[in-house]
Amino acid sequence: MPRLRSIKKLPKLDMNPMVDMAFLLVTFFMMTTTFKADMPAEIVIPFSKAELKIPDKDLCMITIDKEGRVFLGLDNKFDRKQMLGYVAQQNGLQLSVDDAERFSLLSSFGVPLEELTAFVSLEKTERKLYPQSGIPTNVNNDQLRNWLIGSRLANPNLRFAINGDQETPVYAVKRVFDILQDLNITRFNLITDTEKDAS
Amino acid sequence: MLPELDDIQVEKVNQRESENKANKRAVNVDMNPMVDLAFLLLTFFMLATTFSKPQAMELLIPAKPKEELAEKEMAVKESKTVSLVLLASEVKWYRGITDPDAQSLPYAELEPLLTSLNENTEGLVVLIKPLESSSYGNLVDVLDALNYSNIQRYAISELSPFDLDMEVQTEADE
Repeated sequence: MPRLRSIKKLPKLDMNPMVDMAFLLVTFFMMTTTFKADMPAEIVIPFSKAELKIPDKDLCMITIDKEGRVFLGLDNKFDRKQMLGYVAQQNGLQLSVDDAERFSLLSSFGVPLEELTAFVSLEKTERKLYPQSGIPTNVNNDQLRNWLIGSRLANPNLRFAINGDQETPVYAVKRVFDILQDLNITRFNLITDTEKDAS
Repeated sequence: MLPELDDIQVEKVNQRESENKANKRAVNVDMNPMVDLAFLLLTFFMLATTFSKPQAMELLIPAKPKEELAEKEMAVKESKTVSLVLLASEVKWYRGITDPDAQSLPYAELEPLLTSLNENTEGLVVLIKPLESSSYGNLVDVLDALNYSNIQRYAISELSPFDLDMEVQTEADE
Protein backbone atom coordinates (compact mmCIF):
# COMPACT_ATOMS: atom_id res chain seq x y z
CA MET A 1 0.00 0.00 0.00
CA PRO A 2 2.67 2.61 0.83
CA ARG A 3 4.23 2.03 -2.59
CA LEU A 4 0.99 2.67 -4.41
CA ARG A 5 0.52 5.93 -2.59
CA SER A 6 3.95 7.23 -3.53
CA ILE A 7 3.27 6.52 -7.18
CA LYS A 8 0.02 8.40 -6.98
CA LYS A 9 1.74 11.44 -5.55
CA LEU A 10 4.39 11.65 -8.26
CA PRO A 11 2.52 13.79 -10.85
CA LYS A 12 2.22 16.62 -8.37
CA LEU A 13 5.47 18.38 -9.18
CA ASP A 14 6.22 21.54 -7.29
CA MET A 15 6.14 24.14 -10.01
CA ASN A 16 6.98 27.13 -7.85
CA PRO A 17 10.75 27.19 -8.35
CA MET A 18 10.27 26.82 -12.07
CA VAL A 19 7.81 29.69 -12.17
CA ASP A 20 10.18 31.76 -10.08
CA MET A 21 12.98 31.11 -12.47
CA ALA A 22 10.89 31.71 -15.57
CA PHE A 23 9.66 35.06 -14.29
CA LEU A 24 13.12 36.02 -13.20
CA LEU A 25 14.34 35.45 -16.73
CA VAL A 26 11.35 37.24 -18.21
CA THR A 27 12.05 40.26 -16.04
CA PHE A 28 15.71 40.16 -16.99
CA PHE A 29 14.98 40.06 -20.69
CA MET A 30 12.34 42.74 -20.43
CA MET A 31 14.75 45.06 -18.70
CA THR A 32 17.71 44.50 -20.97
CA THR A 33 15.94 44.18 -24.26
CA THR A 34 16.45 46.66 -27.03
CA PHE A 35 14.36 45.78 -29.99
CA LYS A 36 15.92 45.24 -33.34
CA ALA A 37 15.21 48.26 -35.47
CA ASP A 38 13.98 47.11 -38.82
CA MET A 39 16.61 47.82 -41.38
CA PRO A 40 15.56 49.30 -44.69
CA ALA A 41 18.30 47.42 -46.48
CA GLU A 42 20.34 44.35 -45.82
CA ILE A 43 23.71 45.41 -44.50
CA VAL A 44 26.70 43.14 -44.06
CA ILE A 45 28.91 45.17 -41.80
CA PRO A 46 32.69 44.97 -42.23
CA PHE A 47 34.97 43.44 -39.64
CA SER A 48 37.48 45.25 -37.53
CA LYS A 49 39.36 44.84 -34.29
CA ALA A 50 37.75 47.90 -32.76
CA GLU A 51 36.19 47.32 -29.38
CA LEU A 52 34.20 50.44 -28.82
CA LYS A 53 30.51 50.04 -28.15
CA ILE A 54 28.18 52.24 -30.09
CA PRO A 55 26.33 54.70 -27.86
CA ASP A 56 22.87 53.69 -26.65
CA LYS A 57 21.21 57.02 -27.10
CA ASP A 58 21.70 60.26 -28.98
CA LEU A 59 22.64 58.27 -31.99
CA CYS A 60 22.20 59.26 -35.59
CA MET A 61 22.75 56.33 -37.88
CA ILE A 62 23.66 56.90 -41.49
CA THR A 63 23.20 53.66 -43.36
CA ILE A 64 24.74 53.22 -46.78
CA ASP A 65 23.83 50.05 -48.59
CA LYS A 66 25.51 48.09 -51.35
CA GLU A 67 24.10 50.27 -54.09
CA GLY A 68 25.14 53.46 -52.35
CA ARG A 69 21.66 54.40 -51.18
CA VAL A 70 21.73 56.50 -48.04
CA PHE A 71 19.29 56.04 -45.16
CA LEU A 72 19.04 58.11 -42.05
CA GLY A 73 17.83 57.03 -38.65
CA LEU A 74 17.57 58.80 -35.34
CA ASP A 75 16.94 56.92 -32.13
CA ASN A 76 14.59 59.41 -30.54
CA LYS A 77 11.05 60.07 -31.66
CA PHE A 78 11.02 63.71 -30.62
CA ASP A 79 14.31 64.42 -32.33
CA ARG A 80 12.91 62.95 -35.52
CA LYS A 81 9.92 65.23 -35.35
CA GLN A 82 12.03 68.29 -34.75
CA MET A 83 14.39 67.33 -37.54
CA LEU A 84 11.46 66.96 -39.90
CA GLY A 85 10.18 70.34 -38.78
CA TYR A 86 13.45 72.00 -39.73
CA VAL A 87 13.77 70.28 -43.09
CA ALA A 88 10.15 70.92 -44.00
CA GLN A 89 10.53 74.58 -43.16
CA GLN A 90 13.74 74.89 -45.18
CA ASN A 91 12.19 73.34 -48.24
CA GLY A 92 8.70 74.75 -47.97
CA LEU A 93 7.28 71.28 -47.53
CA GLN A 94 3.71 71.09 -46.27
CA LEU A 95 3.11 68.16 -43.98
CA SER A 96 0.01 67.52 -41.93
CA VAL A 97 0.29 66.96 -38.20
CA ASP A 98 -0.74 63.38 -38.81
CA ASP A 99 2.02 62.79 -41.30
CA ALA A 100 4.60 64.36 -39.01
CA GLU A 101 3.46 62.02 -36.27
CA ARG A 102 3.79 59.05 -38.59
CA PHE A 103 7.20 60.18 -39.71
CA SER A 104 8.35 60.35 -36.12
CA LEU A 105 7.59 56.66 -35.77
CA LEU A 106 9.94 55.62 -38.56
CA SER A 107 13.20 54.23 -37.25
CA SER A 108 14.89 55.09 -40.50
CA PHE A 109 14.04 56.30 -43.94
CA GLY A 110 15.70 56.82 -47.29
CA VAL A 111 13.54 58.74 -49.70
CA PRO A 112 14.10 62.06 -51.43
CA LEU A 113 12.04 64.96 -50.15
CA GLU A 114 9.79 64.88 -53.19
CA GLU A 115 8.60 61.40 -52.27
CA LEU A 116 8.48 61.95 -48.53
CA THR A 117 4.80 62.83 -48.19
CA ALA A 118 3.71 59.88 -50.27
CA PHE A 119 6.06 57.57 -48.41
CA VAL A 120 4.93 58.67 -44.97
CA SER A 121 1.23 58.35 -45.73
CA LEU A 122 1.58 54.71 -46.76
CA GLU A 123 0.43 51.90 -44.54
CA LYS A 124 3.12 50.09 -42.61
CA THR A 125 3.10 46.97 -44.74
CA GLU A 126 3.08 48.94 -47.98
CA ARG A 127 5.91 51.07 -46.71
CA LYS A 128 8.11 48.02 -46.35
CA LEU A 129 7.63 47.23 -50.01
CA TYR A 130 8.21 50.79 -51.16
CA PRO A 131 11.39 51.02 -53.23
CA GLN A 132 13.30 53.65 -51.29
CA SER A 133 15.84 55.29 -53.51
CA GLY A 134 17.96 56.77 -50.74
CA ILE A 135 18.48 60.34 -49.62
CA PRO A 136 20.21 62.30 -52.39
CA THR A 137 23.75 63.33 -51.54
CA ASN A 138 25.07 64.66 -54.82
CA VAL A 139 26.48 68.13 -54.94
CA ASN A 140 23.55 69.70 -56.78
CA ASN A 141 20.87 68.16 -54.64
CA ASP A 142 22.39 67.63 -51.25
CA GLN A 143 19.41 66.74 -49.11
CA LEU A 144 21.39 64.73 -46.59
CA ARG A 145 23.08 67.92 -45.47
CA ASN A 146 19.72 69.48 -44.55
CA TRP A 147 18.63 66.42 -42.65
CA LEU A 148 21.90 66.37 -40.74
CA ILE A 149 21.66 70.05 -39.85
CA GLY A 150 18.10 69.44 -38.70
CA SER A 151 19.13 66.49 -36.58
CA ARG A 152 21.92 68.50 -35.00
CA LEU A 153 19.51 71.31 -34.17
CA ALA A 154 17.05 68.84 -32.70
CA ASN A 155 19.68 67.34 -30.46
CA PRO A 156 23.09 69.00 -30.11
CA ASN A 157 24.50 65.97 -28.30
CA LEU A 158 23.86 63.72 -31.23
CA ARG A 159 26.61 61.28 -32.19
CA PHE A 160 26.91 60.11 -35.72
CA ALA A 161 27.56 56.60 -36.86
CA ILE A 162 28.07 55.30 -40.35
CA ASN A 163 26.74 51.88 -41.08
CA GLY A 164 28.06 50.73 -44.41
CA ASP A 165 27.96 47.43 -46.22
CA GLN A 166 31.22 45.66 -46.97
CA GLU A 167 30.57 46.10 -50.64
CA THR A 168 29.48 49.71 -50.58
CA PRO A 169 31.56 51.64 -53.09
CA VAL A 170 34.07 53.86 -51.36
CA TYR A 171 33.07 56.98 -53.23
CA ALA A 172 29.56 56.84 -51.74
CA VAL A 173 31.05 56.70 -48.27
CA LYS A 174 33.60 59.37 -49.10
CA ARG A 175 30.81 61.66 -50.17
CA VAL A 176 29.11 61.24 -46.78
CA PHE A 177 32.46 61.87 -45.05
CA ASP A 178 32.79 65.08 -47.03
CA ILE A 179 29.32 66.26 -46.07
CA LEU A 180 30.03 65.53 -42.42
CA GLN A 181 33.34 67.35 -42.64
CA ASP A 182 31.63 70.27 -44.27
CA LEU A 183 29.21 70.48 -41.36
CA ASN A 184 32.11 70.36 -38.92
CA ILE A 185 31.16 66.95 -37.65
CA THR A 186 34.65 65.61 -37.39
CA ARG A 187 34.16 62.80 -34.94
CA PHE A 188 31.98 59.90 -35.87
CA ASN A 189 31.82 56.17 -35.63
CA LEU A 190 32.04 53.48 -38.24
CA ILE A 191 29.98 50.50 -37.27
CA THR A 192 31.89 47.26 -37.54
CA ASP A 193 31.69 43.73 -36.34
CA THR A 194 34.30 42.05 -34.18
CA GLU A 195 36.76 40.23 -36.34
CA LYS A 196 36.59 36.50 -36.30
CA ASP A 197 40.03 35.04 -35.94
CA ALA A 198 41.02 34.22 -39.45
CA SER A 199 42.92 31.02 -38.99
CA MET B 1 -17.21 33.56 34.34
CA LEU B 2 -14.50 31.47 32.84
CA PRO B 3 -15.30 29.06 30.03
CA GLU B 4 -14.88 25.42 30.67
CA LEU B 5 -11.53 23.88 29.83
CA ASP B 6 -13.03 21.40 27.39
CA ASP B 7 -14.61 24.17 25.33
CA ILE B 8 -11.30 25.94 24.78
CA GLN B 9 -9.58 22.80 23.58
CA VAL B 10 -12.33 22.07 21.11
CA GLU B 11 -12.07 25.57 19.67
CA LYS B 12 -8.33 25.22 19.21
CA VAL B 13 -8.69 21.93 17.43
CA ASN B 14 -11.26 23.48 15.13
CA GLN B 15 -8.97 26.37 14.32
CA ARG B 16 -6.11 24.08 13.40
CA GLU B 17 -8.26 22.04 11.12
CA SER B 18 -9.51 25.06 9.26
CA GLU B 19 -5.95 26.42 8.89
CA ASN B 20 -4.75 23.15 7.50
CA LYS B 21 -7.54 23.07 5.00
CA ALA B 22 -6.74 26.57 3.79
CA ASN B 23 -3.07 25.72 3.37
CA LYS B 24 -3.79 22.63 1.40
CA ARG B 25 -5.98 24.54 -0.99
CA ALA B 26 -3.36 27.25 -1.58
CA VAL B 27 -0.78 24.67 -2.59
CA ASN B 28 -3.13 23.18 -5.09
CA VAL B 29 -3.40 26.24 -7.34
CA ASP B 30 -2.83 25.08 -10.89
CA MET B 31 0.39 26.71 -11.96
CA ASN B 32 0.52 25.37 -15.50
CA PRO B 33 -1.13 28.30 -17.33
CA MET B 34 1.12 30.68 -15.49
CA VAL B 35 4.18 28.67 -16.44
CA ASP B 36 3.00 28.56 -20.02
CA LEU B 37 2.62 32.29 -20.08
CA ALA B 38 5.94 32.89 -18.42
CA PHE B 39 7.77 30.72 -20.90
CA LEU B 40 5.94 32.26 -23.80
CA LEU B 41 7.09 35.70 -22.73
CA LEU B 42 10.54 34.34 -22.08
CA THR B 43 10.84 32.93 -25.58
CA PHE B 44 9.52 36.11 -27.11
CA PHE B 45 11.99 38.33 -25.34
CA MET B 46 14.85 35.98 -25.98
CA LEU B 47 14.16 36.04 -29.70
CA ALA B 48 13.50 39.75 -29.91
CA THR B 49 16.61 40.79 -28.03
CA THR B 50 19.73 41.91 -29.79
CA PHE B 51 22.52 40.64 -27.67
CA SER B 52 25.66 41.37 -29.55
CA LYS B 53 25.68 45.07 -30.09
CA PRO B 54 27.84 45.94 -33.04
CA GLN B 55 31.16 47.49 -32.31
CA ALA B 56 32.17 50.85 -33.60
CA MET B 57 35.38 52.33 -34.79
CA GLU B 58 35.98 55.94 -34.04
CA LEU B 59 37.14 58.09 -36.88
CA LEU B 60 38.37 61.64 -36.57
CA ILE B 61 38.56 63.72 -39.67
CA PRO B 62 40.16 67.13 -39.78
CA ALA B 63 37.88 70.12 -39.64
CA LYS B 64 37.35 71.99 -42.83
CA PRO B 65 40.12 74.54 -43.26
CA LYS B 66 39.00 78.13 -42.87
CA GLU B 67 38.69 80.28 -45.97
CA GLU B 68 41.71 82.46 -45.27
CA LEU B 69 43.87 79.45 -44.51
CA ALA B 70 42.72 77.35 -47.40
CA GLU B 71 45.62 78.28 -49.62
CA LYS B 72 48.21 77.56 -47.03
CA GLU B 73 48.27 73.83 -47.51
CA MET B 74 50.29 71.69 -45.24
CA ALA B 75 53.53 70.66 -46.83
CA VAL B 76 54.67 67.11 -46.25
CA LYS B 77 57.99 65.67 -47.28
CA GLU B 78 57.58 63.24 -50.10
CA SER B 79 59.86 60.74 -48.43
CA LYS B 80 57.58 60.58 -45.44
CA THR B 81 54.52 59.58 -47.34
CA VAL B 82 53.28 56.10 -47.92
CA SER B 83 50.52 55.54 -50.42
CA LEU B 84 48.12 52.66 -50.24
CA VAL B 85 46.08 51.89 -53.32
CA LEU B 86 43.11 49.73 -52.48
CA LEU B 87 42.61 46.91 -54.94
CA ALA B 88 39.96 44.27 -54.50
CA SER B 89 42.09 41.58 -52.85
CA GLU B 90 45.40 43.30 -52.13
CA VAL B 91 46.98 46.63 -51.40
CA LYS B 92 49.59 48.24 -53.60
CA TRP B 93 51.89 50.37 -51.54
CA TYR B 94 54.79 52.61 -52.30
CA ARG B 95 56.78 55.39 -50.71
CA GLY B 96 57.17 58.86 -52.06
CA ILE B 97 55.28 60.30 -54.97
CA THR B 98 57.66 60.75 -57.85
CA ASP B 99 59.11 57.63 -59.39
CA PRO B 100 57.59 55.17 -56.92
CA ASP B 101 58.27 51.47 -56.70
CA ALA B 102 55.00 49.78 -55.92
CA GLN B 103 54.67 46.47 -54.11
CA SER B 104 51.55 44.50 -53.46
CA LEU B 105 50.48 43.01 -50.18
CA PRO B 106 47.40 41.20 -48.93
CA TYR B 107 45.16 43.12 -46.54
CA ALA B 108 45.96 40.85 -43.63
CA GLU B 109 49.65 41.74 -43.72
CA LEU B 110 49.11 45.45 -43.79
CA GLU B 111 49.32 46.01 -40.08
CA PRO B 112 52.87 44.70 -39.47
CA LEU B 113 54.09 46.67 -42.47
CA LEU B 114 52.54 49.89 -41.20
CA THR B 115 53.85 49.31 -37.70
CA SER B 116 57.41 48.91 -38.94
CA LEU B 117 57.10 51.88 -41.27
CA ASN B 118 55.77 53.99 -38.45
CA GLU B 119 58.67 53.04 -36.21
CA ASN B 120 61.26 53.83 -38.84
CA THR B 121 59.83 57.08 -40.12
CA GLU B 122 59.16 60.09 -38.01
CA GLY B 123 56.06 62.00 -39.00
CA LEU B 124 54.79 59.35 -41.35
CA VAL B 125 51.80 60.33 -43.44
CA VAL B 126 49.69 57.63 -45.01
CA LEU B 127 47.68 58.40 -48.10
CA ILE B 128 44.77 56.09 -48.67
CA LYS B 129 43.82 55.95 -52.31
CA PRO B 130 40.60 54.14 -52.99
CA LEU B 131 39.86 53.26 -56.57
CA GLU B 132 36.50 53.73 -58.17
CA SER B 133 35.98 50.01 -57.72
CA SER B 134 37.13 49.79 -54.10
CA SER B 135 34.65 48.78 -51.46
CA TYR B 136 33.94 50.20 -48.05
CA GLY B 137 35.13 46.92 -46.52
CA ASN B 138 38.61 47.52 -47.94
CA LEU B 139 38.65 51.00 -46.50
CA VAL B 140 37.65 49.75 -43.07
CA ASP B 141 40.40 47.12 -43.22
CA VAL B 142 42.96 49.80 -43.89
CA LEU B 143 41.61 52.16 -41.23
CA ASP B 144 41.67 49.32 -38.76
CA ALA B 145 45.31 48.54 -39.56
CA LEU B 146 46.14 52.23 -39.21
CA ASN B 147 44.44 52.43 -35.83
CA TYR B 148 46.32 49.42 -34.60
CA SER B 149 49.71 50.57 -35.77
CA ASN B 150 49.20 53.89 -34.00
CA ILE B 151 49.55 56.00 -37.08
CA GLN B 152 48.03 59.39 -36.37
CA ARG B 153 48.29 61.07 -39.71
CA TYR B 154 46.48 59.68 -42.65
CA ALA B 155 44.25 60.99 -45.34
CA ILE B 156 41.93 59.70 -47.99
CA SER B 157 43.30 61.29 -51.10
CA GLU B 158 42.85 61.48 -54.82
CA LEU B 159 44.48 59.14 -57.28
CA SER B 160 47.64 60.28 -59.01
CA PRO B 161 48.29 59.41 -62.69
CA PHE B 162 50.63 56.70 -61.47
CA ASP B 163 47.84 55.06 -59.45
CA LEU B 164 45.52 55.21 -62.41
CA ASP B 165 48.14 53.50 -64.55
CA MET B 166 48.42 50.80 -61.95
CA GLU B 167 44.69 50.27 -61.92
CA VAL B 168 44.66 49.84 -65.67
CA GLN B 169 47.57 47.42 -65.44
CA THR B 170 46.01 45.20 -62.81
CA GLU B 171 42.80 45.06 -64.76
CA ALA B 172 44.80 44.01 -67.81
CA ASP B 173 46.55 41.30 -65.77
CA GLU B 174 43.28 39.85 -64.68
